[in-house]
Amino acid sequence: MITKQLIEQIEGEATVHFTMNGNTVDFATVAFPHFRGMERILQGKNALDALVITPRVCGICGHAHLMASVRALESAYVHMSQDIQLSTKAQMIREFTLLMEIVQNHYKWIYLTLIPELGKLMPLSNMSTPLKGAFAASLASKALASFSGQWPHSSYMLPGGVTCDPTHMERIKAQSYLRELIAFFENETLGIDLETFLSFESCKEIRSLSSDISRIEQSLLSLGMHEKGFAYDRFVVFGNHGFSVPSKMKQTRSYSVKSKYVSIKDSYSPQEKTFAKNALYKNDYYETGPLARAMTNSVPIIRNIHRRFKDSAYSRVVARIFEIASLLQHALELLKLMELSETSLTMPEPIHTLTAEGIGIVEAPRGVLIHKVSIEEGLIRNYEIITPTQWNIGSDTKESLTPVQLAMQGVTQEEALFIFRTFDVCSVCTTH
Amino acid sequence: MPLKSDKKLTLLWLQGLTCNGNSHSFLNLSYLADVLLACDILYHPSLPSLQTLETISTCKLECDVLIFEGTFDPLMQRNNVMVGKLLRHYAQKARHIIAVGSCASFGGMFKASAPQRNSGLVFNETAHEGPLLQYQEKVINLSGCPIHPEWLGYTLSMILQEKKILVDSLHRPIELYSYLAHHGCTRNEYFEWKVDSKKFGEKEGCLYYEQGCRAPMTHASCNKILWNDVSSKTRSGTPCFGCTEPDFPRANFFRTKTNMSIPDEVPVGISKRSYLTVAGIAKTFHIKRLEEKLIDYKTAD
Repeated sequence: MITKQLIEQIEGEATVHFTMNGNTVDFATVAFPHFRGMERILQGKNALDALVITPRVCGICGHAHLMASVRALESAYVHMSQDIQLSTKAQMIREFTLLMEIVQNHYKWIYLTLIPELGKLMPLSNMSTPLKGAFAASLASKALASFSGQWPHSSYMLPGGVTCDPTHMERIKAQSYLRELIAFFENETLGIDLETFLSFESCKEIRSLSSDISRIEQSLLSLGMHEKGFAYDRFVVFGNHGFSVPSKMKQTRSYSVKSKYVSIKDSYSPQEKTFAKNALYKNDYYETGPLARAMTNSVPIIRNIHRRFKDSAYSRVVARIFEIASLLQHALELLKLMELSETSLTMPEPIHTLTAEGIGIVEAPRGVLIHKVSIEEGLIRNYEIITPTQWNIGSDTKESLTPVQLAMQGVTQEEALFIFRTFDVCSVCTTH
Repeated sequence: MPLKSDKKLTLLWLQGLTCNGNSHSFLNLSYLADVLLACDILYHPSLPSLQTLETISTCKLECDVLIFEGTFDPLMQRNNVMVGKLLRHYAQKARHIIAVGSCASFGGMFKASAPQRNSGLVFNETAHEGPLLQYQEKVINLSGCPIHPEWLGYTLSMILQEKKILVDSLHRPIELYSYLAHHGCTRNEYFEWKVDSKKFGEKEGCLYYEQGCRAPMTHASCNKILWNDVSSKTRSGTPCFGCTEPDFPRANFFRTKTNMSIPDEVPVGISKRSYLTVAGIAKTFHIKRLEEKLIDYKTAD
């Protein structure tokens, strides 16, 4: 018998169809029912308009889409042998705002998704604090908007740089929001200072704390999530940033990656119409996102956790929370080093002179995000978007399971629904 | 994690075709906790709710305030129930209906997903063609892509305090949308003296003449109250795209349409002749201060 579960309060909506074997999941398929046709909307438009339209793919990670778009356009210029000169300042500002968006995403995920979902599986005391997530996310957004003008839905990146031309006033304001956010993270989530937390090398050290993160860690262990939710133990990271290392990993061995090996395949969803497509690398499924980034980045504590618990649900959750800490530290560093006397933007040749193809790849909160564009005399002929959830939460046949399908196999339905969310699902991105 | 339930304003947040941007923008409201404390949230796409989407979609409950985010697509379903049916059921008993964002107000970005059938709740751009036309007296449009959190904070607070909300002909609260995005722009002096921005990425110059800025034609209080309490598009050098207006999204966002190097559209309520007269005179002056950098870091070394 196949039972259907509606997954709500993700970004959008999804359904999972379970085939059970007694009390445990034998096979599950995933459907994403809503579709907006972003790629078609982009066709025929001025290529610069992509910078206004693609952020609207997603209300929680639109900034990552903006950056993927601008990188795609810049790569098209380069393919036409036109130099794009990005000042160090523009690169640092872009990176800062991108990682502030990741931080707000992870914060909301902890307090609006993870903790409520854990609460469905076991009693949790002193943990019902959803507004902590919203408050911390709003601080990250203030720091972000100090450069981007607003969040969500900014369009402040253009080929050749950024539109803002900040003074040290804005930089110092952003620093003060960032420090407030770090203090909040230390007091409300970690129960210890950021620097000490970042020096941790084992999960035992997390357990020694008395805070939200130690309670989350304890709950995961008592639910056995260190022994459940395994995917293929294969990871992929594509985005080139100061906080990520593009590579693919099988267990703990790293290999280089090339975007030409990325392919797309229709979803298998016999019970229900779905608009999602699966993303593969060299015809294999890989997990992407914070755990993948921590593994390819050789973050000591995550490597240690992985040694014991592999790519379990536990490892996935701890990696996402730990990533907040490392990104906050990286953000502080960026603001400190930012040199404002450089130019913000060097305008390339006018867009109508451009006939070329381009690809833009970034690390979005949930993992690899790819934009591909084909431009003819400045107009978009074709646009393709591949989002992180397409990597993690595809739906395929039993012979060829996607990471989430494999991770849900062999556990109870309740556990499977929790494991599903440990990937941090974005339905609106998936079916752009 | 249900919230406590006593006699509070019951609030239901439903979605059509959307990116969730309005939901996320609202979470940035500085007094979010106060507003939520005064409401019972039947359902919200990310906040703790009293009900699940499954119970909401049985259409057996009612709410005081119905909030709708996203473009209305008559063929769309939520949990296998037509969104139109959900809307009509909850709209009937609701005291107030709030369309959050330009999609729910006028069709917006995702009208283009199916242009022949998609619309806002009352309006299809400016035409009265939406599914809740019969309840239009109760509908407040908070256009914007996305909404500014303060706009919804204001509207809910006014409802909670039982104050009357005056609206314009497009059902937008006058206290929020009688301002133009131009009001409070730090580039106003450049606009007055018709000094355009030579390129993107500079503090100086007005973005209206060449860079596509629609702030003088756009009803919104962005530059009066600022975004995320810190900035705005124009303050960070990005043109206003006119996202609160029924014709959003237009095209060629980063370029001003001009005739003989004069912007095709002039500020709201100003006749083209008056505008051209003033602009012509202003342009005859060369003001050195406005043609130089505000701050020249290189000479300061």
